Amino acid sequence: MEITQNIPAVVKKASINKNKFREALWGYLFITPNFLVVLIFTIFPVFFSFYMSLTDWNILGQANYVGFSNYQKIITDSVAIQTFKNTLYYTVVSVPINVFLTLVLAVLLNQKLRGISFYRTAYYIPVITASVAVSLMFMWILASNGLVNQLLVSIGLEPVKWLTDAKVALNSVIGVTIWKGLGMNMIIFLAALQDVPTELLEAAAIDGASRIQQFTRIIVPLISPVIFFVTITGVIGSFQSFDLVYNMTHGGPGYATTVIGYYIWQQAFNYMHMGYGSALAYIVFIAILILTLIQWVLRKRWVYSEE
Amino acid sequence: MDTMNKHNRSYAATRAVIKIVSITILTIGAVTMLIPFIWSLLTSLKSAENVFAHSAFWIQWPPDFSAYKEIWEKVPILKYAWNTLKVALIVTFGQLLTSSLAGYAFAKLKFPGKDRLFVFYLATMMVPGTVLLIPNFIIMSKIGAVNTPWALILSAVGSVYATFLMRQFFLTFPSELEDAAKLDGCNPFSFYWRILLPNSKPILTTLGLMAFQGIWNDFQWPLIVLNDPEIRTLQVGLSYLTNEYYTDWNLLMAGSILTVLPILILFFCVQKYFVQSFKLTGLKG
Repeated sequence: MEITQNIPAVVKKASINKNKFREALWGYLFITPNFLVVLIFTIFPVFFSFYMSLTDWNILGQANYVGFSNYQKIITDSVAIQTFKNTLYYTVVSVPINVFLTLVLAVLLNQKLRGISFYRTAYYIPVITASVAVSLMFMWILASNGLVNQLLVSIGLEPVKWLTDAKVALNSVIGVTIWKGLGMNMIIFLAALQDVPTELLEAAAIDGASRIQQFTRIIVPLISPVIFFVTITGVIGSFQSFDLVYNMTHGGPGYATTVIGYYIWQQAFNYMHMGYGSALAYIVFIAILILTLIQWVLRKRWVYSEE
Repeated sequence: MDTMNKHNRSYAATRAVIKIVSITILTIGAVTMLIPFIWSLLTSLKSAENVFAHSAFWIQWPPDFSAYKEIWEKVPILKYAWNTLKVALIVTFGQLLTSSLAGYAFAKLKFPGKDRLFVFYLATMMVPGTVLLIPNFIIMSKIGAVNTPWALILSAVGSVYATFLMRQFFLTFPSELEDAAKLDGCNPFSFYWRILLPNSKPILTTLGLMAFQGIWNDFQWPLIVLNDPEIRTLQVGLSYLTNEYYTDWNLLMAGSILTVLPILILFFCVQKYFVQSFKLTGLKG
């Protein structure tokens, strides 16, 4: 310390500048490896993908600029329209059911019960199980002579073609999606519930609020940002769902279970329509972008109102 | 006194009812979660002719392990497992290294343009994976990485999300330690390597598990970039199995059980960190 005090001010300043410069160099150096990966495999592809969507490239030939004709083609492609409808149905059914069930489960699990960790673990296991294994397990459970149909027959009901009847198949995929996803949102809700101050609930109880009133008037408003977050992430996830559809139904029967995530893959990597596939992917991108922005804006407002 | 007792009694009764209803619902749910696994395991322990010969509720005793033997002979499952493990380990350590370095720089170092760069980083979290499939496939084929493990490794060794979480963790790290290290002549790298990393084991474990599990279970991207059967991952191999052995359910279930088992074992060993990683997903938005 004494030495630095004796150094003339000019030299001191220069050495501070030198130190700042060094620190900045370290900073850039540390960020570079990670940034390069993000730049090459996330940022550049966003622009490249848009360019691709304006071409007719099919891997073999040359890529010709075709303007927005791929986007125009989407509107007249009846399969694409069906795919969008399926995706919408898939989302509108699976996300609210998931949010409702996971919230109920989280509330139930947020009590002092015996064996609570067993219950929690049971709901986590499907989350960590790979989607391919889940698909195979449910293909067998939902097979014509699988577990569910044998149960139905044993109580005198007609068996159902869970995965091969066009009217039923998408609902079956939705069911498996919900089954696999329960544990994930349940934990997020559980963490949110544990942040709800117990004094607030006790005070309400003293004022004569029933448990249901406590839930709807205090808990739900307090965790509404989390409910919203979980809903938006659920929608974003279902816009991209692929694994279960690919393995369980291959989009069929017909196009009954073809959701947009599967259709993009099919166009790009089955039919090699890279340009058209990119245009479809870009539609999904823009939809997700809008949803995320809405979430960010509303979230800020919520945070503000909490203060 | 009397009304008080009555009140207490009805309160206790309500609580008992709530408890019973809760346990009933939770048990039904937990059974629904576990039955598919139990039923798959039971099926995998049946011989092929017994899968269809008996009702679903019939259990073969003593269990028959022929499905496991058969899958060993028909599918190079060890090779798939090695392909998957190799990539998962490289990606896990690569991602931890690059993200902790970048997270440290964003949290603790000062350099021009840092804040703007960080906002830009956060913005890229909005980009959905679906939109990246086609351009990244083209990039990988241009650099000759398609049909090699590099296609799975290169795009995954850096992660915006892990960087963000690392930064959040490093922000809570006491500055006094850093100042003391500086006075001792520690440069930023030796501080990072000798002090920061050894004190960040929980977050490193959590993010490492997330990366490992993500790669182990990943399906769509390996399906797209790996055509060569020699380098297939477990998930892709298992998926192709359904084409060849369409209704050999005992075989397919044995395959499913085998691919799930490593992650399940890992889960039961370090459940705490897994649960933590789920919670962190809630921070992403």
